[in-house]
Amino acid sequence: MAQAKNPAGGKDNFTRNLVIAVVLGVVLIMLVPTLISKKSNTNAAIPSSVSVEDGYGMVFNKDVKDVPFIEIYEDFQCPACQRFEGITSEYIEDLINTKKAKVAYHMLSFLGAESQLAANAAGCAADQGKFLQFHKLLYANQPPENSGAWTSSYFTTLSLGLGISDNAYDKCIANNEYKDWVVNVANEGAKRNINSTPTVFINGKEVDRNKAYNSLAEFMLAVSKA
Amino acid sequence: MKEKFTIWQPWLGLLARLILGGVLFIAGYLKIGTPDKSQMAVRAYEILPNSIANTLGLVLPFIEILIGALLILGSLTRAMAALGGFTMLIFIIAISQAWARGLNIDCGCFGGGGAVEPGQTKYLQEILRDAGLVFLAAYLFRYPSTKFSLDKNQVTHNSQEDVE
Repeated sequence: MAQAKNPAGGKDNFTRNLVIAVVLGVVLIMLVPTLISKKSNTNAAIPSSVSVEDGYGMVFNKDVKDVPFIEIYEDFQCPACQRFEGITSEYIEDLINTKKAKVAYHMLSFLGAESQLAANAAGCAADQGKFLQFHKLLYANQPPENSGAWTSSYFTTLSLGLGISDNAYDKCIANNEYKDWVVNVANEGAKRNINSTPTVFINGKEVDRNKAYNSLAEFMLAVSKA
Repeated sequence: MKEKFTIWQPWLGLLARLILGGVLFIAGYLKIGTPDKSQMAVRAYEILPNSIANTLGLVLPFIEILIGALLILGSLTRAMAALGGFTMLIFIIAISQAWARGLNIDCGCFGGGGAVEPGQTKYLQEILRDAGLVFLAAYLFRYPSTKFSLDKNQVTHNSQEDVE
């Protein structure tokens, strides 16, 4: 790459200036789409049970009063999130089903393209009333990060196991219908200074990362204290 | 001795350019695909207000690519060495304050970043690496005429006044 010699050797900087212009142009051409793709879109299509005022999270028991509010920020590809899900999901689903907590899931996608696809697919599953089931099943099948395993056909095939066979669902996944919503969720997470996944708040207070994420007993204690 | 240095200086400069530029280019390249992660890495230092950190997280990888590419090609060597060295100094300050405040983060230099488990931090290695790169940048700033550079007057060995 560094082999291009200035043929003039002396006064003429034409080649150099041309190279600078080209490099600058290429970098700008790459930068602009990134900036555009990261812009929040308030007109984004959102899946059912998403609450815009709760940071575009997937909210359960939205209108149940006087119960703890659990907010979970996670990424489908993150191994620590998979561990957290394995430890706490049954308990949290029980809280949801018995209306003993309001729960918001924020599916972040900072680990890359496959996280975005997964979050979109989770939105599609929510429209089928199967978000929690999809959430559990996807974590149970978590491949290594960005290994190429998570494709449209992977999600639709996986969902057959949940009893979802609906053309609208397949289209929702294939067309990445909720991609703007996925960006909005990510931006809200960034605004809230979420620097690690999972991050869990109970009634707005961050749960102790070193305790409650690895032990169901500690997590239940944190919920009961709220 | 002096004469020997005159012969070796442009070659050492080429090496410095390729290392400093290569590190910057690769560091930027590894981050552009995951802007959310890059933003998270900048936020995790807990220095900047959230909105500024998020903007910097988006733009910084592209700045690194730009400086890196121009250094590799040997265009605007002196200015890019100054910019690259300045960037590394800022990184050193940021990492040092994270260390001093007892934050547990990854520097996020080559992607990654954000919180890590206590005891998994590599602050000393990160600072030493960046200090080495500052040294290379300083060398290039002092001796900007290097082999295979697109900057003019690279044939002669005393071209500092011509750069920029």
